[in-house]
Amino acid sequence: MANDQTNASPDASNEDRRFFLKQSIAIAGLSAVPTGLLQAALEPDDGPVGNAVKIQLSLTINGKRKRISVDPRMSLLDLLRENLGLTGIKKGCDFGQCGACTVHIDGRRTLSCLTFAVMQHGRKVTTIEGLSHGGQLHPLQEAFIKHDGFQCGYCTPGQLMSGIACIREGYADSPDEVREYMSGNLCRCGAYPNIVDAILEVKKEGLKV
Amino acid sequence: MKRQFADNELDTSLSRVDGNEKVSGAATYSAEYAVPGLVHAVLVTSNIAKGSITAIESREAETAPGVLAVISHLNAPAVPGWPALKQPAERAPVGTAFRVFYDAFIYFDGQPVAMVVADTQERAIHAAALVRVTYQQETHQTHFERNVKSAGIPQNVQRSKNSPFQDYGRGDADAIAEAEVRIEAEYTIPTQHHQPLEPHAIIAVWEANDKLTVYDKNQGVKSAQGQLAQAFKLPRDNVQVVSKYIGGAFGSGIRVWPHTIAAVMAAKQVKRPVKLVLGRDQMFTSVGYRPYTAQKLRIGASKDGRLHAMVHEGTGQTSMYEEHLERTVLATRAMYTCPNVSTRYRLLPLDVNTPTWMRGPGDATGMFALESAMDELAFALKMDPLEFRLKNYAETDPERNLPWSAKSLRECYKLGAEKFGWENRQIEPASIRRKGMLVGYGMASSLYGFHRHPSKARAVMRADGSVTVQSATMDIGPGTGTAMTRIAAKVLGLNAKKVKFELGHSNLPDAPGQNGSATIPSVGSAVHVACEALKSKLIALAVKMSEAGKSGGQVVVTDGQGVRNGRVFGSGADDEGVSFADILKYHKLNELEATEESKPGPERDQYSMFSFGCHFVEVHVNPLTGEVRVVRVVTCADVGAIINYKTARSQSIGGVVGGIGMALMEHSEMDHRFGRYVTTDFASYHIPVHADIPPIEVYYVDKPDVHVNPMGSKGLGEIAIVGVAGAVANAVFNATGKRIRTLPITPDKLI
Amino acid sequence: MKPFQYLRPKTVSEAVSMALDNPEAQYIAGGTNLIDLMKRGIASPPKLIDINHLPLKKIEHRYDRIRIGALALNSDVAQHKLVKTRQPLLAEALLAGASGQIRNMATVGGNLLQRTRCSYFYDVALPCNKRKPGSGCGAEGGINRTHAIFFNGSEVPSCIAVHPSDMCVALAALDTSVVVAGPAGERRILFKDLHRLSTKEPEMDTTLNPGELITSIEVLDNAFTGHSHYLKVRDRASYAFALVSVAAALQMDGGKIWDARLALGGVAHKPWRYWAIELMLRGQPPSEKLFREVAEHELQSARAGEHNAYKIKLTANAMIAALKIAAGIS
Repeated sequence: MANDQTNASPDASNEDRRFFLKQSIAIAGLSAVPTGLLQAALEPDDGPVGNAVKIQLSLTINGKRKRISVDPRMSLLDLLRENLGLTGIKKGCDFGQCGACTVHIDGRRTLSCLTFAVMQHGRKVTTIEGLSHGGQLHPLQEAFIKHDGFQCGYCTPGQLMSGIACIREGYADSPDEVREYMSGNLCRCGAYPNIVDAILEVKKEGLKV
Repeated sequence: MKRQFADNELDTSLSRVDGNEKVSGAATYSAEYAVPGLVHAVLVTSNIAKGSITAIESREAETAPGVLAVISHLNAPAVPGWPALKQPAERAPVGTAFRVFYDAFIYFDGQPVAMVVADTQERAIHAAALVRVTYQQETHQTHFERNVKSAGIPQNVQRSKNSPFQDYGRGDADAIAEAEVRIEAEYTIPTQHHQPLEPHAIIAVWEANDKLTVYDKNQGVKSAQGQLAQAFKLPRDNVQVVSKYIGGAFGSGIRVWPHTIAAVMAAKQVKRPVKLVLGRDQMFTSVGYRPYTAQKLRIGASKDGRLHAMVHEGTGQTSMYEEHLERTVLATRAMYTCPNVSTRYRLLPLDVNTPTWMRGPGDATGMFALESAMDELAFALKMDPLEFRLKNYAETDPERNLPWSAKSLRECYKLGAEKFGWENRQIEPASIRRKGMLVGYGMASSLYGFHRHPSKARAVMRADGSVTVQSATMDIGPGTGTAMTRIAAKVLGLNAKKVKFELGHSNLPDAPGQNGSATIPSVGSAVHVACEALKSKLIALAVKMSEAGKSGGQVVVTDGQGVRNGRVFGSGADDEGVSFADILKYHKLNELEATEESKPGPERDQYSMFSFGCHFVEVHVNPLTGEVRVVRVVTCADVGAIINYKTARSQSIGGVVGGIGMALMEHSEMDHRFGRYVTTDFASYHIPVHADIPPIEVYYVDKPDVHVNPMGSKGLGEIAIVGVAGAVANAVFNATGKRIRTLPITPDKLI
Repeated sequence: MKPFQYLRPKTVSEAVSMALDNPEAQYIAGGTNLIDLMKRGIASPPKLIDINHLPLKKIEHRYDRIRIGALALNSDVAQHKLVKTRQPLLAEALLAGASGQIRNMATVGGNLLQRTRCSYFYDVALPCNKRKPGSGCGAEGGINRTHAIFFNGSEVPSCIAVHPSDMCVALAALDTSVVVAGPAGERRILFKDLHRLSTKEPEMDTTLNPGELITSIEVLDNAFTGHSHYLKVRDRASYAFALVSVAAALQMDGGKIWDARLALGGVAHKPWRYWAIELMLRGQPPSEKLFREVAEHELQSARAGEHNAYKIKLTANAMIAALKIAAGIS
């Protein structure tokens, strides 16, 4: 999960910064509005045209750089699920109350339903689809299967993204600690004890997460 | 009978066959199918509880960017399976499922009144907020207590003499007055909602004018297929329903709900595939709920603890247009030996949407009351509550006077009590303190009726000896595919990796929906018999092959003793058998298929069939803040043979978690001035989080019930939750001396 | 959600001038509350000013105080060594709030401006004076189990909602000032003056002027370390708003309380600093009896509605429990 552990400051890479500046300047030049005003750039190829304005952004998703133009009202979650086909990450409540939409942004667990996609310009996003490499499951994914840490599977991607973060953050040293720091991820099937077992095992075995 | 499925070790169990898909995000749920040309629908719902729509102003929405249609009763395409509107318009009579966009009447707050379809979700949501609906409001009644006097015998029951919901009595109805020790108490459970993590969702695709495919979240593809075919007057096979992965349901997907019909209508109207995902708030008024239920129990016993009489009265709420009946008072007739028992069940229609079955429907509600009352009476008798239950153990079904098909509840009690350390419980409440917390122990029994329905399965062996088994059953979470794979692998003597199980599509062989803990008993039986049939075919072919001397020279399969490791064996001691693949190859078969149906038989009239269980709970109560934490649970079930220990255990744990939610926090609260719920999100409708759930120990008696089906296995889904709320409430009493009879047990009730 | 113009300023002054252009413009940082409100149609800013790129993340100690940048994330603040060692009460309160994910998104400035979680405020179909002034308070005659018991004297409140933040309860108990940038430059607001009570204008949560942007908070050093506790009572064990919460901090010496701080959450329209009790505790040796006396005496001023009478006793009990832990007596 190397690509997920970069430093946490936004716009870290020069490349990103250059792209950002270029875009700002282009827009400023185009519409003669103050710098920073990103309303512009109507995309001619964006299907049914309405009056909503689209904004371009650049994101690294699961290690791949993408340039996308979005309705600024679109949440990061909807961008991932509806536009990019990354349906592994789930919409459970859309109001930041269930954790099913958890992704990593610049390596930190985040609720993708509570942030607009445009706000994530320049960041690195990892979704559940980015966890396994070359068919090799992440150790926590393996542990979830072993400990049966799910039933219906709908909260599972969020539990996994959160569980990995929980271990990385250093909050997986005791069952009570895991329970507290995983409490932002609801599971209606009640797989909690098995999830806790899976996280503790991966932590205890000192596997790289 | 041999204990053929008695692998009581986690490491010999199968891990979920769909585990890889679920942990990697590859499992596709209803809203996630990539259908070309998909557009998005959003429901507009009523904010009055009773009245009628006088106007819908939709022009602003219609002209908003990206909007394709605003659909309401004013312009909705006709649903051919519904009767023409009456003139003058009339409210639907009792027994009419709610018809979406049918007329102007409002039956409940949150009722769909319009639907916006747009090219993107953002635009649909925005336009939905622009639709203005005006109403002629009428006085609504949503308050249970204020209306309880209007409760009555359900029309359904009045019409049917044999209804199990008829008033019941055995022995002397007035016997309660003569009991030496008796208690009388009223118990209430509030409305509670299923709230699976996946919101209900559908993608409706008209493939042609008379051909419909829906990717829909439901618990029965065959039943949804039938209902949609009926509503839209299509040949059954022209409707296909796909529900391969279901993100939990707990009963909310048993029916085809109005939003499903609405999405199909919309797809017809806009001539594009339509996706509709319910908002979390809409999940509170669209897909049923566990109904608010009030119960009164009077139970009495002799001084030495023999039950003398039980009177159980229950009243549940329903909608004005449908009757939803539950088994609320039924368990009381069968749970304990008691000579004098009477039960009464009533319904209270209110201006709300119709409730539906939610995990352990009726029994979870009724057993909360009965098991609380048993605890209260045990306390009055100064008896240990477990000893009291054992003293009134029903050796045969006291209601039907039939032998149990099997009952090992006594073993459950013993096992559970031992593992839990029940002997450390103090009868006197509030007598143990640990680290400043009040410590309490509680227990409760559990039961759930056995259900088995006709079901089919097809087993197909391919040339390489691997097998695909198919049935139109579902997996809302218990691990249906895993259990079926295990059954098939056992019967066929195959490694489970060589078995693939397919479900969740209406084009597969008939199976019942997933409810009532009936999947293993019904579909498991079908898989069992289909695989047995396939095995017989294989053996017959192997015998033929052997007779012709073509089985490799050294193998002599004359009597077809059995199958093992993908080979058919004869009776000879040094028999090496012949592989399935070789059998098919010899007979020049690309595949070998067997389809079978399995049905319950006369055993249902000879035996009374139930699953049983018990739960032991330790709680800590903060004496200052009234916060209750469940710190330990031991749950023990007698459900016949366990098919796959690992997934069974998870299901039991899940039931306990649901029961803890029911006991401690779940409460859908309505502001009756508006007839509207005010707890319509996960921040106000609390379900348990990680921190609420302690380690949960699960034990099974694991003895096959030889009378129920070929595997000797009964269902587990419901029994896992039935009784849990009672056990928690009883533990809270033991910790604090406070008897909380109205759920949920929140801090305000304990300080 | 209404379409909006999305802006991304690079400097504080650029941000402020963007906001001054349009009184309905809103700053967005973590977004964990504002996006929620926008999705429900409760906030519809025509302009959204994304301040995440402003350099306001720093956490540092200067002279006699910790200064925390407004964009510092709740999780970073809670884990910061300076905060953990010098202001453990603040760290504890932060960790009692929300979830690991939300704490990774929510900023200090945004947390200060969190709006109430009252169900009537959140449902546009119901009356709410805070959301729609003059429409009435839905909770007053409705479901008010989680609502306020402390008000501005005996005045009739137009809103009985409570402030939802945990962090703010700790900040109320400490010596905190809020630094804001506005058209006229920088100014400091004492924490007690940041939030308003609800008498006349319940739609106004704070005393910030149009266009003002919180840039940091400053918390003065103190001698409470080792004798502070944040206690949160809620309907489930985690990830729930407080029914009642207590931030208690004591300065102990020679078996006596020399200074005391007490603030409450979940009981009023703003974080509720309990000055009177603090005075009563000073100079006294700590005991459960003392804590019970002061708690119960002071709660005589509380007023409950139909469903929240329990909060009066719960508040007293929670204060006793928190003070006992802070004082180290069992």
